[in-house]
Amino acid sequence: MALLKPSLLFSLARRSIASSQTLSHWNKDWKPGAYPKTEEERIAAAKKYNLLPQEYKPIPNDAAYPAGDYPDLKPYSADGRDPHYPWDYPEYRRNFNEAVPEEFNLYGFDRINVEEKLRYPMWKMLLGFVCIAGGIVVLCDLSEDTFFMPAMPRHMPAPGVTYYHYPSSSSDQH
Amino acid sequence: MGNLQAGIDYKLHPDVVPHPNQKSKWDPNYGFESPRKEKVMIATEEEMHSAKIALEDRDFCAHHLIDYKKCYHDKFPFVNRCHHEKHVYLNCRYAEFVDTIKDYERERRLMERQKRIAASS
Repeated sequence: MALLKPSLLFSLARRSIASSQTLSHWNKDWKPGAYPKTEEERIAAAKKYNLLPQEYKPIPNDAAYPAGDYPDLKPYSADGRDPHYPWDYPEYRRNFNEAVPEEFNLYGFDRINVEEKLRYPMWKMLLGFVCIAGGIVVLCDLSEDTFFMPAMPRHMPAPGVTYYHYPSSSSDQH
Repeated sequence: MGNLQAGIDYKLHPDVVPHPNQKSKWDPNYGFESPRKEKVMIATEEEMHSAKIALEDRDFCAHHLIDYKKCYHDKFPFVNRCHHEKHVYLNCRYAEFVDTIKDYERERRLMERQKRIAASS
């Protein structure tokens, strides 16, 4: 009956689900470690994130949101990466075990492209907008008082204002 | 209705073509043989208020509009029986509009006359 002990069953099930022996398949296992202080800790953290020690630079411990030993990678967008490279995860344009920026979820295909190159420079787009919108304003300004009925304002009774009929006008008969 | 022609005339000859909103520079009776008859407002403020006449309809035809609305209320839903009241009201509005066109034309002719006299003297 010792085989049916709950802890043993749990560890057996976990081993059968997990294909690797490291058993890091839960969110607490993916939590970054403490900020590396010594050189050995730095090298160990770089190896953990599959980075070379010289390109590993942890997020500063005094940042607004310190993240332990997580590497401070420059953000890149999936849109900006090579579409012809055989990625392991083409939907993310990411390779297996590749370290990703801290806010990876912001830079997918469905989010912003931080490396976007504009088709036209910003000053050209602004100039185009100002020319078209300003042209409309100028046209409206020029066309003021160019289209109206040849009639004076309506006769509305008001205190202190007198209006008159015209002789033999039909307004006299009403 | 000559909307564009009036605008072009105003742009090309602003000295003899009046602006549609300008005040008359002449006395209303100037050039008439006998003094003109004043327009009288028949409907009172209280009547128009109680009949819920819109502010832009409170002109010299408002009493016809009150008649029409009263008839509409009495004969509803057989409102075609109010065709007479409606006809009278719309004719009154048309005559009022013709008066505003006459105001414009009178102003234009007086401006042309003024310019002609100034040129000959």
